[in-house]
Amino acid sequence: MRFRFKSKEIRTLATITAAVLAIPAGWKSLTGFFTWMSPFIMLNSVFVLKSFVLLNLAGILILLLVFIKDRFFCRYLCPVGWCCDKISGMSPRQASTHKKIPPLGKWLALLSLGASAAGIPLLILLDPMSVFHSFFSAFSGNPGFMTIVSLAGFPVLLLVNIMFPDIWCSKLCPLGGLQKIAMEIKSGLSAFIIKKQRAENQYSPARRYFLTTGIGLIGGLALTKLVKPSGSGYFRPPASISPEIFNTLCIRCGNCIKACPSKIITHHSDPFDLLSWMTPEVNFNSGYCLEMCNLCSRVCPSGSITLFSPEAKKHIFMGSAEIIYPDCLLAKNSECDRCKAACRYDSITIEPSGELIQMKPVIKSEKCVGCGACAVICPARTIKMIPPDQG
Amino acid sequence: MKRRDFITKAAIAGSVLSLGISCKRKIESVVSDKNIPPSSEIPSFSKTITEPERKIPVFAETEVLVIGGGPAGVAAAIAASRAGAGTYLVERYNHLGGLWTGGLVLPLLSTHAVDKQNKRKQVIFGIGGEISDRLKKLGMSIHEINPVVDPEAAKYVLDEMIAEAGVNMLYHTWASNVIVDGNVIKGVIVENKSGRMAILSKVVIDCTGDGDIFYLAGEKYDMMNYHIGLVHRLGNIDRIKPDRAGVKKPDIGDPTPIPGVNWVNMNGKNDQNGTDIRTLSALQMEYRREIWEKVQQIKNTPGYEEVFLLDTASQLGVRMSRILDGEYKLTLEDTMTFKSFKDVIGISGAWTTMLYKGLAVKSDKRPLWQIPYRSLIPKKTDNLLVAGRCFCFERELVEDTRIIGTCLVTGHGAGAAAALAVKERELARNINAGNLKRLLVEQGAWLG
Repeated sequence: MRFRFKSKEIRTLATITAAVLAIPAGWKSLTGFFTWMSPFIMLNSVFVLKSFVLLNLAGILILLLVFIKDRFFCRYLCPVGWCCDKISGMSPRQASTHKKIPPLGKWLALLSLGASAAGIPLLILLDPMSVFHSFFSAFSGNPGFMTIVSLAGFPVLLLVNIMFPDIWCSKLCPLGGLQKIAMEIKSGLSAFIIKKQRAENQYSPARRYFLTTGIGLIGGLALTKLVKPSGSGYFRPPASISPEIFNTLCIRCGNCIKACPSKIITHHSDPFDLLSWMTPEVNFNSGYCLEMCNLCSRVCPSGSITLFSPEAKKHIFMGSAEIIYPDCLLAKNSECDRCKAACRYDSITIEPSGELIQMKPVIKSEKCVGCGACAVICPARTIKMIPPDQG
Repeated sequence: MKRRDFITKAAIAGSVLSLGISCKRKIESVVSDKNIPPSSEIPSFSKTITEPERKIPVFAETEVLVIGGGPAGVAAAIAASRAGAGTYLVERYNHLGGLWTGGLVLPLLSTHAVDKQNKRKQVIFGIGGEISDRLKKLGMSIHEINPVVDPEAAKYVLDEMIAEAGVNMLYHTWASNVIVDGNVIKGVIVENKSGRMAILSKVVIDCTGDGDIFYLAGEKYDMMNYHIGLVHRLGNIDRIKPDRAGVKKPDIGDPTPIPGVNWVNMNGKNDQNGTDIRTLSALQMEYRREIWEKVQQIKNTPGYEEVFLLDTASQLGVRMSRILDGEYKLTLEDTMTFKSFKDVIGISGAWTTMLYKGLAVKSDKRPLWQIPYRSLIPKKTDNLLVAGRCFCFERELVEDTRIIGTCLVTGHGAGAAAALAVKERELARNINAGNLKRLLVEQGAWLG
């Protein structure tokens, strides 16, 4: 009994920690750390990318703990579960009102993982950690009305829980579903090992699981053909994976937006490109992508931003820059070489302009990574940043 | 059932295996980029001769000797002399003001910056402020922030102020060597029409811009190659008949206090060594020819026939060369964070955009910044102070440290410090910072 009491306290503590780390307050690598601990995000990411990073070990560890202790994540860590419990307690209705709804969570989880293997993490956005963190990210930087509305999944989820108490945790949550499957696999395995006769007669969901995963897989294969991002390019964080995968893999947790020291990452909101709605977009209004900084790649739990070493940054192409000459101060003989001084990649040189006594800055495109330093420092604001072409 | 079991297990084993095989995901730097040292070292000379030893006259013995009559040198000499020290000022050309006047770089930049209350205000006072005010009174200065002055008026005002302060002025004189005893500088050997001679002094202030004196004294430095230009002025701007259809307007520079006269900046070639005499000579000729041809082009433009080349600058516009490796290296962070120093000698402002921690900070949003006395002191040589564009700072700061405003501030600080060292009979590096600040405030400097 004493242990159970403790688990509640641990979860309260975990909820506070998760909320604190979700606030954009300069947590550096720890920003939104709870996103790393969701085995559902971890599995989707690993299935799509067929590779992993060191921090995925957090998700793997939790998954192992789930096998040891049933619903470990829900029990000790989940901030969404904690909030749902509190809210459901306030509900005027009984939990029994929706007893007839089948537990959808595990089917959702299987569908998503199946599709992930085919390249589309179908329902990764339903992960409670994604919902929780994206809500906090709506308040980082300079949020617009649309951003806050789009990222209001968490309050909506709580509202649903007021109307139908406990419905999220018991029926809908794919992360919970995944843990249920783990439980079933565990009991199945133990039955197999102990070779209890009883197992023969037991209800076996394996056939349904098999089918659901298959549907997910085939659906995923079909969808990858259908889902294509629109042609209009925009700047994504450095080392972002190809736009086709990015739009579906990105869980919109906003970790990169919160972590960026120059605050150049915002939510992309182009109504004509709904697939990339609320994915991170880089704009160079007041800052640039710092050389020797890889924070966004270090906090991305889905792998949408590939982890890179700071030294590799000079080879990571984000876009390019173009100087519009009529307004260039240097080309008007004013005292200016700010773009050249700002460029950390030696991609700008000052060269004769062809006119007598006049020089002009020239961008060597092969060295330019599109960090935007020249564009923001330019006193005449005459350097245009050009995003990479999309597929 | 057995077959399905087998397939399931095989699938699980397969996925586990494939996971194990697939590698860790991280983009690493593949190419190791080596830093290529700058290629513009002065070529060494294969043939040398030995100069015979000779006795040279001691032209003067003084308390403070200032080498270089640019904005820093003038401010230093006036400050030292006003504080009661016997002062000599040595200038190689025939005018004071250096690049400000002879170089025709007419704007007095970075007079303003933002204070802690986020209000943009004037920060340069003291002798620099006095010079600026006198030019304004003569009507020879336009614009409130970062004023542009008339070079001849500035030369006149500087001469007057030097004379009023009682400084001994030596024009047409080039410093060619230092006289050092142990670690203490004892004077400078100069050359002029009267020959080679020594000037002995208790304290020497290096205001050469290129750091010739600390270089000769064997101090360490950072060699910064930068773009070198040649400024010129155009006359009869008021006689241009504008707005002819189909005529592309030529670039005719910016107005000066004299109506009808514009000054035209030149950025010039980048990455040039300002201490290499071959570079300087070649650029001088090339630029003069280009300016002449450019003015002919302007004259050939319909409506611009009467424009003429008033003058090319008598000094080549060497923006940067040596930067002292001194007791304290002023950093970009210092200037962006209101860093306050116990030994502050002056405050300067900002005139251009800077990048700081990933953000662009516009000139009208940039904070004022303090300059510590230690950044004027060389590491090794005693009783040598460095003021002007070659004092000790990191390269990121160069746009703010190399300009007239900052030179006036560091010059004033060094001059006052030198006089104080003489008065207190201390080594220049050991003077009391509190006394120095008191003296500077007495002389009108603003220290925050």
